[in-house]
Amino acid sequence: MNTQETSKSAELKPALHPRRAQADKWKQLLAKNYLVVILVVLCATMGILQPFFLSGGNISNILFQAAFVGLAGCGMTILIAGGMIDLSESGVVAIAAIAIAIVLPSTTIGGALTMALILGAGLGLINGLLVVYVKIPPFIATLGSLYLFLGLAFISTGQKVIPIVSTNYLMLTTGSVGLLPVPFVVFVLCAVITGFILHHTYFGRAVRAVGSNEVAATLAGLPVRRVKLLAFVFAGLTYALSAVFMSGRLSSAEGNMATGFEMNVIAAVVVGGTALRGGNGTVFGTAAGALLFAVINNSMNLLGVASYWQYVVTGAVLVLAIALGSARSGGSMIRGEG
Amino acid sequence: MSSNGMLSAETLQRDERKASEDRARRADSLRRVLQNLGVFVPFVAVLVAGIAIAPNFLSPSNITNMLVNASILGVVGFGMTVVIAVRGIDLSVGSAQALTCCLVAASVNGLSPVGGVAVGLVAGAALGLINGLVTTKLRVPGFITTLSMMSVYRGAALIFTGGAPIIIDSVGFKGIATASVAGIPLPFLLALLVGLAFWFVLERMRSGRYVIAVGSNPEAAIETGIGAQRVILWAYVISGVCAGVAGVVLASQLGVINASVSTGLELRAIAIVVLGGTSMAGGRPRVVGTAIAALLLSMINSGLNLLNVVSAYQYVALGVLLVLALGIDSGQRAAVRKMLEGRGTEQ
Repeated sequence: MNTQETSKSAELKPALHPRRAQADKWKQLLAKNYLVVILVVLCATMGILQPFFLSGGNISNILFQAAFVGLAGCGMTILIAGGMIDLSESGVVAIAAIAIAIVLPSTTIGGALTMALILGAGLGLINGLLVVYVKIPPFIATLGSLYLFLGLAFISTGQKVIPIVSTNYLMLTTGSVGLLPVPFVVFVLCAVITGFILHHTYFGRAVRAVGSNEVAATLAGLPVRRVKLLAFVFAGLTYALSAVFMSGRLSSAEGNMATGFEMNVIAAVVVGGTALRGGNGTVFGTAAGALLFAVINNSMNLLGVASYWQYVVTGAVLVLAIALGSARSGGSMIRGEG
Repeated sequence: MSSNGMLSAETLQRDERKASEDRARRADSLRRVLQNLGVFVPFVAVLVAGIAIAPNFLSPSNITNMLVNASILGVVGFGMTVVIAVRGIDLSVGSAQALTCCLVAASVNGLSPVGGVAVGLVAGAALGLINGLVTTKLRVPGFITTLSMMSVYRGAALIFTGGAPIIIDSVGFKGIATASVAGIPLPFLLALLVGLAFWFVLERMRSGRYVIAVGSNPEAAIETGIGAQRVILWAYVISGVCAGVAGVVLASQLGVINASVSTGLELRAIAIVVLGGTSMAGGRPRVVGTAIAALLLSMINSGLNLLNVVSAYQYVALGVLLVLALGIDSGQRAAVRKMLEGRGTEQ
């Protein structure tokens, strides 16, 4: 309570001159959206260095990449806002995509999509049950389930690549609406819905309450267990959506299709400004973070940097973002750590 | 209570104290039983099942094989035990080991086998130091630091090798993993020595007490004047060195080094540490448990291999085992807490 009051008074403090206040407002807006500024500067620089960067084909390429990470990032934002984390994305994505590839020849596209979404929600539920009822810290529970899911994925495919040949499915998942690729449109929709859920619904408020102080949320009578379970189920759904478009883009599915995906998703969410401490989240930031990493990776490809550097850059940017965040907030109280 | 109105407050107090002492003792023994149950029951079960089902499970070559693999894993586990005991976690051990392996292989070829071993130790320590510094100085939570470094080190290994395997020429270096003293494989002796050193430091030396103090209650440790940050930093360095030492043995065992070696090692290391009874809540390192769990895991892998089970099932076995171990860990904590609080029925 005390800290909330002091932070409120700190916010109210700069009420000096109207003009000064205006300038401060701009400064705050800029500080809040510094990621967008970085993104614009980066794009402009790349556009000058490599005119090809701004070509339609390349931009749609970037939007594709951002959509995969961003879709999963929507669920991850909710989880992190609730003080949790999930490392099992690549397993969930693999299983959902493999399920689509296996059933597509014999069912309709709608049936395959429904099945993928149900699978995603089910696997998310498993994670949630491990965290809520077996009481394992989220990051390690999901690390365990990651290998469980990957193992199941490998077993169900016999460690082979399963091709997806349905042209309708490929058209649907890789086509474009106007100038924008379908995955990106779906991602924007999903982000808007997630933002609405997080900020304007009972569930979203409960998630943030659990994330900022779980004990207090329990004492206040919030259904903490149900909220946590639902958060994991929602996250599983978004991973399944991501899997739908990823499998379409690759026109195949296999166990290894999303290895290391969790790193990119967490990085996008955290760099976007959702604090690992929990308590609040910004879907807009996640979208900006996803775009930023897509632009960085694409730029490095265009500049002929070995793709291995992407591992280094993603890791370094993630550490840097968190270090800056904890230096600013003056503490490293991180939930979900154990 | 009205019928006991004759009892003086003193007797009541004494009774209450005695009862709570009793509860504490029972809780402690329960904790010990559950901790040991977590590793010994599966150990015996797998041993019996292995002997019964898997062909050649007890052949000398398979025993040697299991011991060497357990040693390589166990040494990493010892380092992880210390990190988990101070409430940290090291997800970067697999990538750190891959990077050290590549550096070791290159320096064995470029310098000498001895130079390679030295490079392995120094590289491991340096990577651990990076983890420790980022965690303590930049105040990044350990699991995020090491998750990021997992990606960074793997990338560095891939960049260093350019994606091509490195073949170690030196026959002498490759002999490290296959050599034996009086019939006991050299890596196993090495792991035994390292384990003994860890046990001694943690149980008998002041620095070991510091580890337990920081892990049990960081605030109290700082209040008593222990440099908690330094202890945590050292824990990560030790974990790095362990990954390096195991990396040297692994490089010697494999002979051909790929940048993708040791993927998923972090999970195996965490699994054996938690299975061994080290609590994720910190402050309870159990080196002996880690060693036994390393043997257990190596038996499971070897058994599944001998039975020609697809390697994917090893992933599943590992995941199930980890979840089981963590479930026991949290269940044990809940049971003990319940016992100490007296089941909440008597107010």
